[in-house]
Amino acid sequence: MFVKGSRLITIISASCFLFLKSIVTPLYAFTWPETLQIYGFASQGFILTSDNRFFGNSEEGSFDFTELGLNASIRPLPDLQLSAQVLSRRAGEGDDGNPRLDYGLLDYNLISNQSGNLGFRLGRVKNPLGFYNDTRDVAFTRPSIILPQSIYFDRTRNLALSADGLQIHADQRTDFGDLFYQLGIVYPNVDDPKTTNVLILNQPGQVEGELSSIGRLIFEREGGRTRIGLSGALVNIRTESPTSSTRGTIRFRPLILSAQYNAEFWSLTSEYALRYLKYQDVAGFPNFSRTGESFYFQGTYRFFDKLEALLRYDVLYQDRNDRRGNKATGTDPKHSLFAKDWTVGLRWDITNAWMARIEYHYVDGTAWLSSLDNPFPSKTDRYWELFSILVSFRF
Amino acid sequence: MRSLLRVAIVFFLFTAFPKVHAQEVVVHSSVKQESISRNTLRAIFGMRHRKWPDGFPIKVFVLRDDASLHISFSKSILYIFPYQLRRAWDRQVYSGTGQAPNEVESIEEMRKKIADTPGAIGYLPLPENHENEVDTALRVLHVR
Repeated sequence: MFVKGSRLITIISASCFLFLKSIVTPLYAFTWPETLQIYGFASQGFILTSDNRFFGNSEEGSFDFTELGLNASIRPLPDLQLSAQVLSRRAGEGDDGNPRLDYGLLDYNLISNQSGNLGFRLGRVKNPLGFYNDTRDVAFTRPSIILPQSIYFDRTRNLALSADGLQIHADQRTDFGDLFYQLGIVYPNVDDPKTTNVLILNQPGQVEGELSSIGRLIFEREGGRTRIGLSGALVNIRTESPTSSTRGTIRFRPLILSAQYNAEFWSLTSEYALRYLKYQDVAGFPNFSRTGESFYFQGTYRFFDKLEALLRYDVLYQDRNDRRGNKATGTDPKHSLFAKDWTVGLRWDITNAWMARIEYHYVDGTAWLSSLDNPFPSKTDRYWELFSILVSFRF
Repeated sequence: MRSLLRVAIVFFLFTAFPKVHAQEVVVHSSVKQESISRNTLRAIFGMRHRKWPDGFPIKVFVLRDDASLHISFSKSILYIFPYQLRRAWDRQVYSGTGQAPNEVESIEEMRKKIADTPGAIGYLPLPENHENEVDTALRVLHVR
């Protein structure tokens, strides 16, 4: 904990230094306070499931899904931005609504000209994974109420959200298309009780993020009509247990391939992920490694200006060599190792500030259900349905 | 009598068919360059390219997403759809990696803001022979 704190202090003091250095540059001294921007959003969801629990006691109907966010940014120089966002999220047992710093960073462009930028971000930076991870808690930016859980599972969301460290970023504009690179060297945020529970279940002990790396490359053609992305991470986590003298290691290596085509009235999106996971010397667990596989196909169609319809098929296999779940152990049913989700949805942009959504899922399997909401895997049902409504406001 | 009729017809044609208005990229008079590539323009309105070649910050002004001028500007000048711009802005605003453009309520406000703000860029509907009509504080930027 202390190590984490001192790291943060270093980051903050470096930020302050660069900030002060920038404000004494006289050229824009008159106008930069005007670059302050403040934005926020509030979303409230309702979830009803036929069986199993998702975000609270959803079998009875749950309003236990609220997202609130407030962010500010300022650009003292054209090449320097400071920004931060505070987020509160309530979602069943997994998230209790305590406000936390979602990101807080200094972004500086070392080079910027007509053909692109090269710069770095320092502080708490959103993890660039796939098309949607960066803004996954902002309902307006999602394609659906619940993101495709095969890739954006909410179980280990804190691990995926943001991390503390340094990110190098570049964009390159060419006649053929635009390239966006991001590469981060970070310490993942894993030491909250929820993420600890997902990683080592009820075993006593601690987990701590070690130096990890994360990167993404996106290629956009014709101003984003076609978008192709490749993202991946090498996540390293250390575990300690009072019952064992050896330190355990958890290695997580997701690789995501993303593709999107945007026409005037419709968009097609697909993402495919391989997730390699390895446990070594983690107290209470046998040593193992496995590769999970995830993918979805998604189509959206915009009509009458304000409406958007969604159809998606989303598949998750915890182990790509065991798609039927035959290797399930203990009381875990086979269906806890896969999930296939058909989703239809409708989005209505009532005004620029208000948006409403309605969504239906038919799911075979429970692989992405939270064990906090569903503590007894044997009591889950294989085939289940989920219905959801969400209203969101932004300013 | 006949010439009067001719005048009346010409007058009718002029009033019934309004002058052709093309939307043009307009900048504050402080901006030095005469022309800009479509790609750079897209990066500017996508809020990714943030300063003019002389280092002065770019201030982007747009109308609301559903304003007809905004839609036609996006499609026929930037060659992208308004929803793509909105997504690009949202991605940056809500991940702390960029800022949103300045939104104005009307074409008149757009004209005034660009004229009053050094480094400003936006778009306006201008008659075909616009060179004479543009305010001295505004300049048209030609898209290459």
